[in-house]
Amino acid sequence: MIQGAWLCLLAPLAGAFAITVMGDSIGRRTAGWIATLAVFAGFGGAVAALVGLLGHGEEEREYVSTAWTWLDTGSFQVGLNLVLDPLSATMMLIVTGVGGLIVLYSVGYMDGDDEERRYFAYMALFVFAMLLLVQGGNFLLLLAGWGLVGLASYLLIGFWHERPEAVAAAKKAFVMNAFGDATMALALFVLVWQTGSLAFAESFAGTEEMSSTALNLVALGLLGGAVAKSAQLPLHTWLPDAMEGPTPVSALIHAATMVTAGVYLICRAHPIFEAAPAIQDLAAGIGALTLVVAGLVALVQTDIKRVIAYSTMSQIGYMFLGAGLGAYGFAMFHLMTHAFFKALLFMAAGVVIHHLAGEQDIRQMGGLRRLMPFTFAAFLIGSLALVGIPPLSGFFSKDGILASALDAGAYGYLLFAAGLLGTLLTGLYTFRLFFVVWGGDPSPLVERHAGGGHGRQSERAASRAHGEPHGGEGPWTMLLPVGILAVLAVVGGWLQIPGVWHEFTHWLEPVAEPLVEPSLGQELLTSSLAVGFGLVGVAVAWLFYGARRREAPDARGVRDVLEHKFYFDELYDLAFYRPAVALSALWRRGIEEPLIGGSITGVTLGARRAGTLVGGAQTGYLRSYALAIGFGVVVLTVVFLAVR
Amino acid sequence: MLGPDPSWYLVVAAILFSIGAFGVLLRRSPLVVLLSIEIMLNGANLALIGFSRVHGDHDGQIFALCVMAVAAAEAVVGLGIIVAMSRRRLTLDVDQFRALRG
Amino acid sequence: MTTALIVLPLTAALVVWLLPLPARVAGGLALAAMLAETALWGVAVARFDFGESLQLVDRQTWFSDLGVSYHVGFFGFSLWLAGVSIVVCTAAIAYAWWARRERARAYHGLLLFLTGAIVGVFAAQDLLVFYVFFEAMLIPLYVLIGVWGGVRRVQATVKFVIYTMAGSLLMLASIVVLGLSQGTFDLVESGRSDSVWIFLGFLVAFAVKAPLFPFHGWLVDAYRESPPELSAILSGVVSKAAVYGLLRIGIAKFGEPVQDLQLAILVLAAVGLVYASLLAFRARDVRTVVAYSSMGQMSLIVMGLFSLNEIGVTGSIVHSVAHGLVSAALFLLAGMVEARTGGTSDFARIGGLAKGRPAFATLVLIVGVIALAVPGSAIFAGEFLILTGIYDQGWWWSAIGAGAIVLAAMYMLRAISGILHRSRELQPPAGTRDLRPAELGVLVPLVAALLFLSAWPASISERSFPPAPEEAAEVTP
Repeated sequence: MIQGAWLCLLAPLAGAFAITVMGDSIGRRTAGWIATLAVFAGFGGAVAALVGLLGHGEEEREYVSTAWTWLDTGSFQVGLNLVLDPLSATMMLIVTGVGGLIVLYSVGYMDGDDEERRYFAYMALFVFAMLLLVQGGNFLLLLAGWGLVGLASYLLIGFWHERPEAVAAAKKAFVMNAFGDATMALALFVLVWQTGSLAFAESFAGTEEMSSTALNLVALGLLGGAVAKSAQLPLHTWLPDAMEGPTPVSALIHAATMVTAGVYLICRAHPIFEAAPAIQDLAAGIGALTLVVAGLVALVQTDIKRVIAYSTMSQIGYMFLGAGLGAYGFAMFHLMTHAFFKALLFMAAGVVIHHLAGEQDIRQMGGLRRLMPFTFAAFLIGSLALVGIPPLSGFFSKDGILASALDAGAYGYLLFAAGLLGTLLTGLYTFRLFFVVWGGDPSPLVERHAGGGHGRQSERAASRAHGEPHGGEGPWTMLLPVGILAVLAVVGGWLQIPGVWHEFTHWLEPVAEPLVEPSLGQELLTSSLAVGFGLVGVAVAWLFYGARRREAPDARGVRDVLEHKFYFDELYDLAFYRPAVALSALWRRGIEEPLIGGSITGVTLGARRAGTLVGGAQTGYLRSYALAIGFGVVVLTVVFLAVR
Repeated sequence: MLGPDPSWYLVVAAILFSIGAFGVLLRRSPLVVLLSIEIMLNGANLALIGFSRVHGDHDGQIFALCVMAVAAAEAVVGLGIIVAMSRRRLTLDVDQFRALRG
Repeated sequence: MTTALIVLPLTAALVVWLLPLPARVAGGLALAAMLAETALWGVAVARFDFGESLQLVDRQTWFSDLGVSYHVGFFGFSLWLAGVSIVVCTAAIAYAWWARRERARAYHGLLLFLTGAIVGVFAAQDLLVFYVFFEAMLIPLYVLIGVWGGVRRVQATVKFVIYTMAGSLLMLASIVVLGLSQGTFDLVESGRSDSVWIFLGFLVAFAVKAPLFPFHGWLVDAYRESPPELSAILSGVVSKAAVYGLLRIGIAKFGEPVQDLQLAILVLAAVGLVYASLLAFRARDVRTVVAYSSMGQMSLIVMGLFSLNEIGVTGSIVHSVAHGLVSAALFLLAGMVEARTGGTSDFARIGGLAKGRPAFATLVLIVGVIALAVPGSAIFAGEFLILTGIYDQGWWWSAIGAGAIVLAAMYMLRAISGILHRSRELQPPAGTRDLRPAELGVLVPLVAALLFLSAWPASISERSFPPAPEEAAEVTP
């Protein structure tokens, strides 16, 4: 069982290492298959771990396995240990399962790229890092995984490094995540001094003796990390830019796994957050705010991937809302279903982009319905699941979160209202995208590609020779994962049906006891309201974009604000980047060059001047030297006489 | 004790030394400067021998002998330099040689 | 054993320098000597009992009436510092051999001499021995920068000489006063002093060497004008002499003065950290970035030392070892960049080196991300311990340190992008495509050591100070 967990962690690392070391001696495709195999081997390990866990009693499902001591200073020790419990097992399954499908998809999607080997090494590295994050048995390993996924994300966003936008986006993502890492690290410093340990169990036990200030600091630091990694307000600006990476990367990292790490963190560290309720409420509030703001911004985006990216932010907002309220089971449940349907949406979008030779602007698309029926169906399933239409998976998980909000008092009602507004927006932006891309008559661009796709090559900035055109919607390696995820997006929610069974939340209860338990009545009320609002959103979208009965309202001011994404980028540029640059220039010109560099020039110059000054006494006349000697003798004689 | 009072030796030594010192300071010709230095050294020698006489031992005389040896060596080097200078037809004027000016 | 570690490079230096061998043979001989030295160090580690304090001691009376003796030996932490020095110097000599420096016999002889002196510094257990090796280390540096340096080598050398001389003379005065007042120059036997002035003398010398703000005037020129392998030794190893000095003499031999000046030193270190990070962010070429980054990291290490607790001091040792390897690898990489771009690492004239050079790109990325302290790396382990330790002195120190990690991410990513991405008009000449086997042979062991330390930083942290508190008290307060 625990061997399965280790296999799960190490198989992707071995894959990444093998691809790196073998270099040119293996073919590009082989690299893809090695990565796929490695990740699926990890999935096998995760399944073995799951089976092992299920074989034990509910209260015994927690195992910690230590390989060696990672860091040790005598009084303070951190082991390289894995934790295996229902929470980490769930995450392991999602990461390796969805991850494996996406790597398989990449084999088709990235076919023909110059640097496929590098891509697959990075992908395997990412899966390893993510597994380290969710399996790490102490906060330091969690932080290590946390940082490494940021690194892998940086590498993959900037994979097409000849595009300056991609490199800039990668750097932005890494720096914002590094900010989150830093706040998390601060929280850990407090924990070390207050509890003397970073192991989960021991530090949670130590929270009881901590002052509320310290607790709030720890929780705030952890929340900072979670917010940065999960692209919540106000540290969200990197996620939309991250869409510069290849589409499978967006699906894996920026939808299904990495960005949900913040939710995992809150669930994992729930004793700390529960001991600092103000911060937990803050987390829920941030989630609610993000889900509305991101939904609004998604309304005006024209890039197919960016719409889905904002939708991701919004959905993670729901998860934060749930986790912040203490509905850990539902938050994790939504995390899982979201991984299914969001990966599905991204990969279906990827098939479209692949087919249209790299075009991502939805204004150029339209009428793809007949051309790509399979992808159309998959995208429809994904969209419906996203909006939360029963009986698709999104319905069960999102409504669980909203119902929990109803059970959480006055603040909960406020959050509930935000969540309902969010469902309306979700219906609107999702089906705006859906109708624009798939509905109507084929656009000129679509017509041109009707005879079979040309591959994705021109998504790369450098125009290169087109690969062999292939018929159909894409290679089987791309369509198979889409199909599997479509099925999962439909059935994934049935693990948890209100009033019938509660398998999923029950499974997670030993790890994180929920604070709120919605009653059946609340669940039903929420479901009807949420589906209603969602359908209204869909209907409005149909009115404007499907049937094109009305022109979309042209509210200039609002539109400007939304298109500039509420001016966050501009604000950060003004508040952080420019001051840093200015300060750096000021210090170089004001301190480094004149004072530090100048002082040493001053010393040499001073020495030279002093030399010239003293040198004046050296006339070069022999007699003046002789006179000086004589004078000196006289002075000395007088002094000796006087002193005696 | 034969001869004049020892203080007279010192007076003569001081006069010799002063003549030499003024010669060094005032004359320009390197040859004369060298001569003046010899006179100064001999003034010093005279003082040493006078003291030797006062103390009644031979230390002063030994010192004087050492000074003479040094003076001889110095005269050789100095004269050698002066001869080399005149061979190169340089002006024999110490004020012309001030390359060590600061 | 310890004496053998010191004498082997010194002897090899004489042999390489004096025997009239062809340049290639001389370099090869130097490298062989360094490999033997590395092996010898391995034997020393195997013989070392990390549960105990000072070991591998050699002692001979020198001036008995002053209490001076030739006294060398290793603590756990100084054995690691010596080890990283030997490894880095080996890599540097290998690189110099490959790069075919002019006047190879003198060059390699001086490098070997430098190595012996550095090992001597880390082994010294007597104030006068420490001073002798400390100075012996500087002489080859003056010559190496001044003769084999770049265009502005004279200026760089003058600055370096003035700064280090000033520091050394103050230290000499302090050593004389301390030794005479204690009645012995032996570091093991002498007691603690309470004089702030003596402590300041040592502090200035080590602050110049590290360097700490504002004693870093020599830094940029020296790191930029030296041959890359010399910059690697300077930043990776020579700066660590300050760490040893601060720990073995500064903190161990002064009680009250350390407490009194702790705040001032921490402020200087914090200012230096932020200052260097910001300047690195806008630096014009790769070497300057690495130079300022090195200064920032050294400031961090000093912060850890003056946290005056076990976690912080151990973190400083881990960080010193990791940073020694990282900054050496970075400077060697900068040298390899220069070898491909006609001698410049100016960001305006390089870029796009990732294309067609997978091995080079991979190594730049690995070293770069370790240098920016990505969580899970060896550098991160050191920084984490340092910042945890310094938290005890006030949360703001940790906050500043954590902020500097973000800055480090910014300048390191900028440097990586500057090297690898963005094709510019300057096309590197064909034929110098990817790394050659010799370059790989120099870099890969360094990177492998870094990856090993990343997987198991406890290998250093567990083995730096003996567990028994009363013996640790001799080094850690």
